[in-house]
Amino acid sequence: MSLQDRTPAEPDVGVTEEGLDYDELAALLDGRVLDREEHVNAEGFVIRPDEVQAVLSTLKDEAGFDHCSAVTAQEYDDRFESIYHLKKFEDPTQELSVIVPTSKDNPVSESAAPVYDTADWHEREAYDLVGINYEGHPDLRRILLPETWQGHPLSERYNQTQPQIVPLREHANPLEEDHRGDGEDADTMFVNIGPHHPATHGVLHVKTVLDGEQIVDLDPDIGYLHRCEEQMCEQGTYRHQIMPYPDRWDYTPGGLLNEWAYARAAEDLADIDVPEYAQVIRTMGAELTRIAAHMLAVGTFGLDLYGDFTVIFMYAIRDREVVQNLLEDLTGQRLMFNYFRLGGVAWDLPEPREEYLDKVREFTAEIPDRLEEYHNLISGNEIFQMRTVDTGILPPETAKSYGATGPVARGSGIDYDLRRDDPYGYYDELDWDVITEDGCDNYARLLVRLKEVEQSARIIEQCADLLEDWPEDDRTIQSNVPRTLRPDPDKEIYRAVEGAKGELGIYMRSDGTDKPARFKIRSPCFSNLQTLPVMSEGEYIPDMVASLGSLDIVLGEVDR
Amino acid sequence: MIPLQAVTLTDRFLELLGLDPEAAGPLLVFGVSILAAGLVGTFVLLNTAVAGPYAKRKITAAFTDRISVNRIGPAGIGTIVVDAMRLLSKELIIPEGADRPAYDLAPLILAGSALLGFAVIPMGSSIQVADPEIGLAYVFAVASIASLGLLMAGYSSNNKYSFLGGLRAVAQNIAYEIPLVLTGVSVVIFAGTLRLSEIVAAQQGTLFAIGPVAVPNWFAFVNPFAFALFMIANLAEVGRNPFDIPEAPTELVAGYQTEYSSVYFVLFYLGEFIHIFLGGAIITTLFLGGPAGPVLPGIVWFTIKIWSVFLFTQWARSAVPRFRIDQLIDLGWKVLLVLALANLLLTAVIVGVIA
Repeated sequence: MSLQDRTPAEPDVGVTEEGLDYDELAALLDGRVLDREEHVNAEGFVIRPDEVQAVLSTLKDEAGFDHCSAVTAQEYDDRFESIYHLKKFEDPTQELSVIVPTSKDNPVSESAAPVYDTADWHEREAYDLVGINYEGHPDLRRILLPETWQGHPLSERYNQTQPQIVPLREHANPLEEDHRGDGEDADTMFVNIGPHHPATHGVLHVKTVLDGEQIVDLDPDIGYLHRCEEQMCEQGTYRHQIMPYPDRWDYTPGGLLNEWAYARAAEDLADIDVPEYAQVIRTMGAELTRIAAHMLAVGTFGLDLYGDFTVIFMYAIRDREVVQNLLEDLTGQRLMFNYFRLGGVAWDLPEPREEYLDKVREFTAEIPDRLEEYHNLISGNEIFQMRTVDTGILPPETAKSYGATGPVARGSGIDYDLRRDDPYGYYDELDWDVITEDGCDNYARLLVRLKEVEQSARIIEQCADLLEDWPEDDRTIQSNVPRTLRPDPDKEIYRAVEGAKGELGIYMRSDGTDKPARFKIRSPCFSNLQTLPVMSEGEYIPDMVASLGSLDIVLGEVDR
Repeated sequence: MIPLQAVTLTDRFLELLGLDPEAAGPLLVFGVSILAAGLVGTFVLLNTAVAGPYAKRKITAAFTDRISVNRIGPAGIGTIVVDAMRLLSKELIIPEGADRPAYDLAPLILAGSALLGFAVIPMGSSIQVADPEIGLAYVFAVASIASLGLLMAGYSSNNKYSFLGGLRAVAQNIAYEIPLVLTGVSVVIFAGTLRLSEIVAAQQGTLFAIGPVAVPNWFAFVNPFAFALFMIANLAEVGRNPFDIPEAPTELVAGYQTEYSSVYFVLFYLGEFIHIFLGGAIITTLFLGGPAGPVLPGIVWFTIKIWSVFLFTQWARSAVPRFRIDQLIDLGWKVLLVLALANLLLTAVIVGVIA
């Protein structure tokens, strides 16, 4: 517990009633802060590229910033910049950005991976796409693009018009490698699980070294579904053209939750108010989406443990179908909703309103019975418990260091839910609970999801009542938003919402035009997937499959 | 004790041809036996054909709240033909580096070993190809050859998933065959014979009667504990959920049969179903009174009984999660084997005291 020995009793430097006192934090860093920038909801400390580890470990140990949400890298005309978005699991409204500029000709910066485990993958992504080198990084390889890719696509020198074709024979052929009988490890076997495998929930490729049935080493290889979502958003206008994209990140469906992530960030960036009525509709829609997403997660988790198309999956799909119908009535779509607008939602509740709300209530009233059925079928099953209890262990400290959020973190007993801790929408007016389980295992993560469905149903029920009784003359679904949005130049924001899988954050930098200059998605699945090796090494293959299922990743969101 | 089936199917055929079974020459007996074996084989394959592409889907659909095949023919029964055509007309892909003779033989061994077992099963209405004195030992012996087929398939496919699947299959079959056979032996102690027709005959009569309902003297009722043990071990033996670990789609893609396509795949698929039915036939013979039953002819009862066992395997498939390989082996060696030995000992003591 050397980490805790170094930690002072109360790491709350600069915590005041009104919020963070950044002067005190800067004083703590003892002259290491070269400059201070004003971001929308957090201050940014500019530091030297060779002092990253010193600064971040001071902030982590002495100021309590134990959550590194994301690492954003970008290129300016005169410099490269890495931004570490820091938060506290205790109170995510206390935010701080640490900005590390590096020179154009030699973009080398010290790696933060020794301080925050999660920085490992985030810095690999920054290296891959922007081209910043991180010194002292344990394993600085490309992560989204193939190993043989030429150049870094988000850097200015990159030739965007030159197509790159990476044939299989030149790219590292994942099928060729074989560790059979080389030297000391002769009794281990190398297996590629994926990219096409029934249990990888999409195109995930897990390089696995097996000793018999047990996993010795495991390396998730992602990027097969990389669709340049960030860059696509950078080419759309704030007002209308970006909103359809979030639906495509997490399509299980995380649709409305993802849209809310963009809506919240953009509304805060451009100072747009949202009418209360629209917030209630948003809250209800988002929770319906959450139920649909959790149902699919539970169903596919069942599939991973049972094999073939079994009862659990079909029952989950049956119940999810009801949600999909409700969402279709509300938004007009079943998968790619595109329902939120900046400053509100696209249209009001479907008419006749009472009938629709009755349908919603009918659904929420059935939820307890349905959950009872799931508990009887899965969580109460003894074989199921044998398989899931005490497998895929993720200790809370490790989970925090890897930036795990959502049901994965809450299954490890971390009481972190942005809906409550960093309130948005109508959540703080409603009566509901954040679910945590202390098991830290696959079983706990499943329980969290099942219980969250119940809480979501509670929220939806209250929203339905509110919407029914809302005064007729106050049913404004959108505030007045200018046709073209041009936030002030160099305005920067990192904002997150609680998506189905965890903290879904968006970083945007405005350059004064109607399109964002940098658009960065902090995907919860990306960070959650990083914990897979911790959970699975030393365990059996079936446990790895179960752990992967319990992480509930969507490759569309991991790869973006 | 008068055996229920004094005559085998071969004898019946000879009688129909107007020959005396006692006096017929060995060549003639051999020829007629082939005919009898063909008849039984066709019957088994017919059941498999209905079960594999059709009944399995319909049953699983009923359990999982779906509709399943319903396009071709009444209730979709035409799917059987279409599916057979589809599977057989696919390209036969043989992976590079496959160990050829073994790779080709594995599906044949799997399907063949199960079919051989049916030779000694008394199916009622005098349908039984042969009735050797060591009937039960023979059935267990030929059924076990399947393990060899699985290992060959796994090892020769030049695929790591197949390899793991083949190893799992062998580990599992060894762990479960011993309790299976030991439980079978407890029935032998009751019946006092290995000859299957005599085991069936031993189950005739009434165990006890509750009012007008007479409970037959089936070993499932005489020794329900052994019956339960046998059902569980049989699930593992035929590799169905919760013991479908050698295939485990979400872990090993398709296990030992990953690399098989077209006709070879059909043989594997067929072999699995014949194995399920052979398991059902053994259970029927040992525990459910064989073809015995009121009103309907024996063969009909026999069919109903093996299909009931099939239904049970499909039910388990839909509703029960899969064990992990180490848990499965634990259960086999540390629980089922001990229980099977206890059951054997108990049966021996009871039979010894009573008789």
